[in-house]
Amino acid sequence: MTHSLHRRGTEESLKDDYVLLVTSAYGFNHEGSKDKMRKVLEEVFAEEPANIGSYDTGTILSGVDIQEIRDALNDVPRVRCSFSTKEKMLAVLKKIKELDQGMSVTVSGLTEEVLDMAKELEIKPHCINLSLEVWGNVEKLPSEEVLELVTMCGHGLISSGLVEDCIEKVKKGRMTTRDAAIKISHPCVCGIYNPDRAEKLLEKYVPLKEEELA
Amino acid sequence: MRIDQEKCSGCGICIPYCPANAITIVNKKAQIDEDECFECGNCSRIRVVRCPKKAFFEQPGLYEGTRAARKFFSDPMTTHSVTKIPGRGTEEVKTNDVTGRVVRGQIGIAIEMGRPCLGTNMEQVEQMTVALGKLGIEFEEMNPLTHLMEDREKGTIKPEYMNEKMVSAIIEFGIPVSQMVPVMDVIKEVAKELDTVFSLDMIYRFEEDGSLPIVPVLEEMGIRVRKNSKVNLGLGRPVVTR
Repeated sequence: MTHSLHRRGTEESLKDDYVLLVTSAYGFNHEGSKDKMRKVLEEVFAEEPANIGSYDTGTILSGVDIQEIRDALNDVPRVRCSFSTKEKMLAVLKKIKELDQGMSVTVSGLTEEVLDMAKELEIKPHCINLSLEVWGNVEKLPSEEVLELVTMCGHGLISSGLVEDCIEKVKKGRMTTRDAAIKISHPCVCGIYNPDRAEKLLEKYVPLKEEELA
Repeated sequence: MRIDQEKCSGCGICIPYCPANAITIVNKKAQIDEDECFECGNCSRIRVVRCPKKAFFEQPGLYEGTRAARKFFSDPMTTHSVTKIPGRGTEEVKTNDVTGRVVRGQIGIAIEMGRPCLGTNMEQVEQMTVALGKLGIEFEEMNPLTHLMEDREKGTIKPEYMNEKMVSAIIEFGIPVSQMVPVMDVIKEVAKELDTVFSLDMIYRFEEDGSLPIVPVLEEMGIRVRKNSKVNLGLGRPVVTR
């Protein structure tokens, strides 16, 4: 599924948010790909992703370490992570290209930025998945501010209730924006939620003054 | 999911984590409304809710009945027995450079019913699949939803699954580019009747010169193409050149 697609937000807030997926194709090249993926994982981790995880373990933000993720790579191995700067994303892609392990690589982010990176690395992109908005009874959706955070987990495991609870605690000065960003990350088990972007989004909710809290 | 009432202390830390809003405190104990529960597994994960009493447990026989559909369409930590792919859809654009699922002259469409936030039931999914069935759509074999259909040509869902609810169910299929306009018209019409939402995505193979000629066509139809997308860089091997 397209769990890294459909992130909500302005161009400005999506600018420093990239999701990298390295995937072996089941029935095509997954057999014997575990060692190849381990090499990719090591290079990716060396570039200090904002988050990384796996379906089998959970993420570094929830207390998993890279060795657990490495050990848990299964027979159809995948690498899932997010980066918060274009420079880091570019550096990782350069390394993956040099490694040339033959695994499929997708990057989710602002299309123009991703295509710019491909051009710089002399990579010819193969195909694209376009996000064509949300349809149906959209009036039932929570506010756009909540959606910006919730949609960083495309599997839909971050509830609007958790986001609203954390925003409330930030407003009341009971939780820092960083702590809130990390707490919201925990249900996202695969590692594509970007805590740096979340922290920036939560900074809009500065603690209220004492008279406002009264 | 169930809660061991003997273990539960009624602290309520689990409540905000539930995407289905299915947990409430009754008589000082947390209880799950099983009809609303998506079986996503959030509440039972020790690194998510961190229930101090470890009171959550999966109901026996979950994977044997129709309720298993909730699990497969809600919990990415499960792998479907037919597709061998974790999550609730195919590998879509992720491995398209190797699988060639969508080649030049075609588009791949995914209608992610229930995403974001609202979830869906099978009745709403069927509203869409039946409408698409009338256009002769061939639903994706490697998507678990297709395997819950009673009649794949008509797009009807097996009646025993109709009451199941999930985080999202993905309707996936490929069509020739020439069929895009009538298909999108039907999707837009069904959208007006739904009580839930869906996220819509479209896979396209870049033209040789790197262009995307479908974008202006979509915009002409009043379909907004968002600035963020997912790009397959074509680094997989062996690469499909079509």
